[in-house]
Parts: sequence; C-alpha cells; structure tokens
Amino acid sequence: MNDTPAQITLDQWDERYDQLRSAGLVEPSYGGPLRRHLADGDTRLAHLRYDNSPAALRLWNFLLTEEDRLRDARAAGAKIVGAMKDLGTVAVMACSMDNVVAFYPDGAWWIPCMMELGAGLLNIADSLGFDESFCPVRAMLGAFVTGEHFPRPDLLTCSVGATCDDFSAIAQRIEAMGEKIVWWEAPHRRRPDRGETPVELPGGFVAPQCQVDFVRGELQRVADALADLTGAKLDSHMLAAGIEAANRVRAVLRELRQLAYTAEPCPMGALEMLIAEMLAIHFCSDRTESIAVLDGLLDEVKRRVDAGLGVARPGAARIFWINPVADLRVMNLLEECGGRICGTEYLFPHAIDKIPTDIEPMEALARMALADPMIGPSAGRAARICDDISKFGAQAAVISRISGASHCAMEGTVIADRIRKNLGVPVLEIETPPLSDSMRPTLKTRLEALVEIVKRQKG
Amino acid sequence: MKSVLYTCPFVPAEWIAACGLDPMRMTPERAGEGMPAGVCPFAAAFIHAASTTNACAIIVTTVCDQMSRSAEIIEARCETPVFLMNVPATWRTEEAAKLYRDELARLGRFLEDLGGAKPTPEQLIETMLHYDSLRAKRRADDETARPKGLPLILAGGPLRSTDIEIFDLIEQAGGTVVLDATAGGEMTLPAPFDRARLASDPAGELADAYFARIPHAMRRPDNQLHEYLNRELTARGARGVIYRRYQWCDTWHGEAGRLKDSLPAPVLDLVAGDDESDRAHVLTRIQAFVEMLK
Repeated sequence: MNDTPAQITLDQWDERYDQLRSAGLVEPSYGGPLRRHLADGDTRLAHLRYDNSPAALRLWNFLLTEEDRLRDARAAGAKIVGAMKDLGTVAVMACSMDNVVAFYPDGAWWIPCMMELGAGLLNIADSLGFDESFCPVRAMLGAFVTGEHFPRPDLLTCSVGATCDDFSAIAQRIEAMGEKIVWWEAPHRRRPDRGETPVELPGGFVAPQCQVDFVRGELQRVADALADLTGAKLDSHMLAAGIEAANRVRAVLRELRQLAYTAEPCPMGALEMLIAEMLAIHFCSDRTESIAVLDGLLDEVKRRVDAGLGVARPGAARIFWINPVADLRVMNLLEECGGRICGTEYLFPHAIDKIPTDIEPMEALARMALADPMIGPSAGRAARICDDISKFGAQAAVISRISGASHCAMEGTVIADRIRKNLGVPVLEIETPPLSDSMRPTLKTRLEALVEIVKRQKG
Repeated sequence: MKSVLYTCPFVPAEWIAACGLDPMRMTPERAGEGMPAGVCPFAAAFIHAASTTNACAIIVTTVCDQMSRSAEIIEARCETPVFLMNVPATWRTEEAAKLYRDELARLGRFLEDLGGAKPTPEQLIETMLHYDSLRAKRRADDETARPKGLPLILAGGPLRSTDIEIFDLIEQAGGTVVLDATAGGEMTLPAPFDRARLASDPAGELADAYFARIPHAMRRPDNQLHEYLNRELTARGARGVIYRRYQWCDTWHGEAGRLKDSLPAPVLDLVAGDDESDRAHVLTRIQAFVEMLK
C-alpha cells in the first residue's frame, strides 16, 4: 500500500479506494467511494483534485452526506435548527441540547458549484428577484423553495444588523415565503467610548461591555426559542459542556492549521483544509463526528510532517488566502500555479479561537459572537489578517472577492492597502463565480504572475 | 453655528439642533469615478461629498453594510470627526429600542465634545415641537401642491440631488407622485410626536417616533414597509408604484420582487446606475408604465 501523499483525480480515487479497502480500510457508516456522490448530482467532483489519504476520504464523505444525516436525525425525532448567518454561535448553543441538530443553510452557496448549476437554485433565486448582483448565497433561497437539499428546519434563526445586506435581504424573502425566523441583532462592533468598560474579545478586538451585554441578551432570546422548541431549558451547565466540545473542535483545527500552513513541504492541500475549516462553524451537523474527522486529518498531517512528506513541491509560494471561494476548483488552481496555502481568513477566524471558559457561558458566547471580524470596521479585520500573515510566514495574499457580496466592494481595498502598507507583501484581488471555468485562463495567468513575483522576491 | 452632516432618516435633526448645532441633511450629488466596482452609487456619492465637507462632524449610520463601511473610508479621507450610529435592524424588542435610545445618548455626548451642549428637557421639547410643525407643514404642502396626473407612488432607496429629476420625468410621462416613499421622502419622516408623552419623556418620545415608526427596507422583519405601502396605496388612490433602486444596493433591491408579488398595483422596477445616458431609457420606461396604467 503506497502512503505517499498525492493529489489525485476522482478516477484515480476509484482505484485508490479499492486498494484501501483491500488493505483493510475501516470506514464510518457514511463511508464509501467518492464517485457515488456524482450520482447525487455533485458533478463538480469530477473536476477536482483530492488528497489521497483515508482521512481526506472521510472528510469528503462526511461533508457530502450532511443532507442524509439531517434527514436521518429528523426521522429519529431530533429537532433541526437552521442557523443562518451564524458563524459558530447558535450552532454551539443548539448542539448543547439533547436531540437537537443545527445546520448552516448558508452552506447552500456551494451547491451551484458542486452541482455545476444543475440544481437550478440560482435560476429560482433569479425568478424571485435575487439576480447575480447578489452573493451566490442566494442559492439558499432556491434550496428553501425546492426543499431538496436540506429538510425544512423546525427553527430558523438569523443574525442581522452588522451583517451582509445580501444575506439579510435573502433571509427576509425566505421569511416572506412562510418560514418563521428568529432574528437576532449583531450590532456593529465599536471601540469603547470614554467612560465605558472595555472588554477584550477572543482574537484581540476590544468592545464596550454594553455591547457584550446586548449580544448576550440577543443570544438569550435564541436560547428561549430553543427552549420553546424542545421543551427543555438550555442551562449554564449544558452550555458550558457544549462550549467545551466546540473548543475541542477548535483546538484540533488550530493545531491542524498551524501544521498544515507552516510545514515544508505542504502536508495537506488547500481544498481539504478549506473543508476542514468549515467544520468549525456548524460541525457539519454532527459535532462528535466532526472531531473524529478532524482528528484523523491531524494524525495524517502529523505523520506526513514527521516523514517530511507533502502534496506540494518544496518551495511553493506561500500564499495567505482571504475569503472562501465560490468555486472550489480555484483552490486546486492555486497549487497548480505553484502556490500553497499559508494561512487563511475565510470570514470566521473567531470560530476557530477558543471560547472563553473562565466566565459565565452565555457571556463567553456573546464575546465570541462580537469578535466576528465582519461586524466591525474593515481596518480591524485587516489588522488581524496582517498579524496572521506574519504568524504563518506568508509571502503574498490573495483576496478572493465574492461576486455581488455587499461587503467585498469596500473592504477589499481597505484590506489590500493595509497589507501592502504594513507588510509590503504583494496582494492579488480576484473574483470567482460558482463556476469559474470560463475565467480559468485569466485566473491562472494572474495566480501564476503572483507566484512569479514571490519567487523573484525570494531570489 | 457649527454644522453636522448626515443623510440617514434615522438621525433625528432635532436632537442635533437641541444640542446647539446645525443639522445639515445632505442629498449628495453623483460621485463620478474613483470607487471600486460593486459600490452602491449612493454610498459612493455620500463618501465623495462627506470627504470634502466643511461641516464640523459627519454622522453615518449602520442602515446598510456599505454605508457602515463608508464611515471608515470617510475617516481615512478627511480630518472631520465621524460618528457611526448603530441603528438596529430588529425593532420589535425592547432591547433593540433601548439600543437606539442609548445610541442617541452616545451621539449627544459626541456632539457635546464638538462644542454642543446637553439640552434641558424644556429645550428638547421646544426643538421637537418646532421640527414637528415643520414636518406637518411639509405634509400639508405636499397634499395641496400635487399636479394632476396619473397618481403614482415613488418608492425605493434614497435619491441623490441629481436623481430628483425623476419627479420631472414622471410628470413628463403623465404621472403624478402622490407619495414619495423613497428613503429620505415622506415615508421616512418620523411619526408626529405624542404631545402628552412629549411633556413627560421627550427623549423617549423622540426615539420612538424615529425608531419604532419609520418603515425601511433594512428592518427585520420588514412588514412595516409592506403595510405602509399597502395602506398608502389605497389611501392616496395610487394606480402604480415606481420602485427606484441603485445597482448594488441589496437592501432595496431585495424588496423589489416581493413588492411586485404582494402589492395590489403594478410595480415598475427601475435600476439606477451612474450612466447619464440612462435618462432617455428611464423616461421611456416610465411613459410605457403610465400608458399601460391609463
């Protein structure tokens, strides 16, 4: 059995899967060959390149069976909570309760990519007035209409206020279609004024205590809604246990990121690391299993680092990536162009930070929610990005603009200027739609140029 | 007197005036070039105008993502102090209303730092009554000044000074705007003050008249906006709605489809960009809309 790390195609995975099975591969219940997901319509899989490890296979299978998992949970009597515009807060609360499963409806934004527009979700969004001037998360609207990509939630929550206008408008349309939504307010984070009590938030931002108190009150409303749904109160002990479990996910992820983004050669590909990071937000509807999946990935990365093995050529340009891409294939493209990921900011670094455990649990969650870099000034987000670029030793940054997203137009410039001014590293801004094939030559040229600049600087 | 610049309808002019400063509500001109793709033309226009203002301070609110972010762009471009006021999107909870009241108090402290003075209750009441009477007069004038034509509601996002021409275009096409329901028009005026409460709790009445009563597309849920337009459509005998929104303004764009589905009158959805040549196209569309309704 060859355990040399490699990035392989779906066709190659067929053979690899047979080899692993013959060698005694043990899989969880959702395991199986990756190819079977093609039959579900995830045709983009045929165009991606994957890590060849059993750990990566498990990660992909875990991701691609979330809908089955939710429907099984519903059949088993669990309550299903759709936590919209929630980057790791409501999911922690919901998963602290018995017989409740939380998921992230926003994740539907990758369906047009995965199904190569075959699901028609964007067309449905178009027909409801949400055209391509909106972020691809409008696919979520189509998913609610068809009811084919996740079960109808028993409770829908949505964070509004200092959040994307796209999302707020889309969620409002969903409510108008008859889905009741518990709206909770995330205020624009600001620095304390004179005389206000400052609170340091996870990740280092500072906010006035009155804002933390406000968010805490909003989260208590969400907790009350969960209690109404389940008939059981979410008490401090339950929430503390939920936070501890969430912190376990985050701790594994931090260690994984540290190794995967700093070791030379790069031990794990950009695509798998992107998927792994996403687990921090909502645990892909199974917190316990997400820990097991991440543990498996971490073990594999440790093994490779110890053996000096990797998936990228040594000396690949070290790139810090900002914002998630709508087309997963672009992460492969970066590596094909001679780059590798050395640090990321996929909009939710606060969902990877440890949730404080030395204070009252709801207070801790409120501080964590307020630490979202997206709800404060772009300069604050840019400062944290600069710190991380330095920490991970990245040599350049890519800002991946999300087409139509209300926040991208202004913040991209702020972030790029800050990186250039503070660190002097090159910055490339790109924008990718859910299917970027037609733009691939242009994207390739631009990424290659960035890699070339980095290599010239090194020289 | 020092001027304080703002544009958002959730900023109470009488609060600034009661603090001894001059509230200057701006309707910005078209911005021209210089902003990245994807920036809402109104936000771009506001940034451009605010960055060159002579006012002693600028108030920006969080009614939309791009306006929130424009605060730090303006701060980076000029020396004028900028106050970013949090206007909650949610409005049905006491906590949201309290947040708005607290923000007014915070704004008051900001204005004091600029040389303003904390108003006494009597000063605040007097100022509120003055502004209330000005708004009542404006409503009455709007009522009597209407020319005859096909009655229409103009709704949607805020207008720049260069966009006010749309009223002329509608008249040229044979229509009459019987309600300005743009963000900045009659729809976003605060409610008339409750005189009884004004005497006992002027600050509370001020906050409620603005926060609890102004319908806006950013509010969650947004039923105030839909109820208002449905009610006024009937009350004013309007035959249709011209819905004008900017390219890249998700807040008002998001309402367009639903308004088409839910309002009991035809809706013309006009997308405003930055192209001067749009004018002829807009006029043609309004003419066709009016002809269809006639």
